[in-house]
Amino acid sequence: MMRLRPFFLALVLATTFSIGAVAQKAQADTEEFIASLGDRALQVLVVDSQSETEREDAFRELLSEGFDLRLIGRYALGRYWRRATAEQRSEYAKLFEDFIVETYVARLGEYSGETLSVVSSRPDDQDTIVTSEIVREGRPPIRVDWRVRRGEGEPKIIDVVVEGVSMLLTQRDEFASVIQRSGGNVEGLLARLREKSGAAE
Amino acid sequence: MNPFSRISPGRVFAATALFALAACSTPGGEPTQISDPLEPINRYIFAANLAVDTTILEPVATLYRDVVPDPARDSVRNFLRNLESPVVLANDVLQRDMDAAGVTTKRFFVNTTLGILGLFDPATDMGLVRRDEDFGQTLGTYGVGPGVYLVLPILGPSSLRDAAGNFVDYYFDPLNYYADNTDRGHLTLLRAGIRGVDARARTIETLDEIERTSIDFYATIRSLYHQRRQSDIRNGSAPSLPRLDLTGDAEEDRTASLEN
Repeated sequence: MMRLRPFFLALVLATTFSIGAVAQKAQADTEEFIASLGDRALQVLVVDSQSETEREDAFRELLSEGFDLRLIGRYALGRYWRRATAEQRSEYAKLFEDFIVETYVARLGEYSGETLSVVSSRPDDQDTIVTSEIVREGRPPIRVDWRVRRGEGEPKIIDVVVEGVSMLLTQRDEFASVIQRSGGNVEGLLARLREKSGAAE
Repeated sequence: MNPFSRISPGRVFAATALFALAACSTPGGEPTQISDPLEPINRYIFAANLAVDTTILEPVATLYRDVVPDPARDSVRNFLRNLESPVVLANDVLQRDMDAAGVTTKRFFVNTTLGILGLFDPATDMGLVRRDEDFGQTLGTYGVGPGVYLVLPILGPSSLRDAAGNFVDYYFDPLNYYADNTDRGHLTLLRAGIRGVDARARTIETLDEIERTSIDFYATIRSLYHQRRQSDIRNGSAPSLPRLDLTGDAEEDRTASLEN
């Protein structure tokens, strides 16, 4: 029995280190993912390169590639997801995509053409948080944190946090408010989103 | 003349009352949403503020931005920020952040001398980066929660804690004593006015975009205000992200994936 102990210790150490190495590798991959996606996004948003619809289309493509829109939509609906019927959920998913594209283009658009540099990353629960900076000439950099979730497949972004302000949390608060004001009915939110997407077209 | 002669008992009482209210509404942990029991009144004031903004503040800010060149506007802001140094310093000390107090002090001396009375900001180039502190944030570092959300007339989004903090910050500012004791109350107002116009001039597009893309502008601003303050209190350091309470949702995930 006594002789087995060093073996176990070695095994435990080996496992710990290899898990550590794998985690580090995954983290580096995630950083790389954000660096390339972030740069592409900022370039897509460059205002004078194309028309607004072209920009939105290109951004929409990037968004569906890099973001887990289904999950974001669900979190944004918060506890009301449970209350929504299947039809409401599927209509919401569609409307939410339009809404998030417009919102992201508008709110991240002011950083168009700047460069993004990844600073660090760290694990947080089941996610990796990648900290980056948008570097602007002659002005202080803007801190942007990305919450990246690696499910079974590719890593996907589920939240963008600009200077401590989470896009997902903001949307969740806003949606909750709209629903509360229509008597706790998800239909109230769908109506507002419908109006919004109708107005955009 | 006694420098404190102008501090009326009424003001002190109001500050104390607000402070006490803010202190007793300390919540456990850090809720992601700010409580808003005064929502109907807040929404009313918010709408009134928006009307004032559309008719007066935004046009003035736009004009200011169009007429005054960038470097001059930066100097205006640098000058006002340099004047605020005592307030920032007092709060650095109250937060027991002596490194920050050192930076604030050095910034003040560098910018007042080399920066010609604070019109320029050579301190930042020397690596002395400005960090804004106020008594609302100081209370936050003591564990005082925001209390309830408030929309103040003209001044905009605030909270019980932060409004109480503003009262206290007033007394950290030597300029206010000077203005009070020499019957130059208009100086304080003028400064607040310029600061407001300058701040508004820097957010014209941003606010427009937020309003355009929101389906509930009031709720969006409330959320942004709260998140921003929480982040300022943490000074942007870890935990850098607002906590997402996803525990209930994770359960839901599993159910949902089974359904699909």
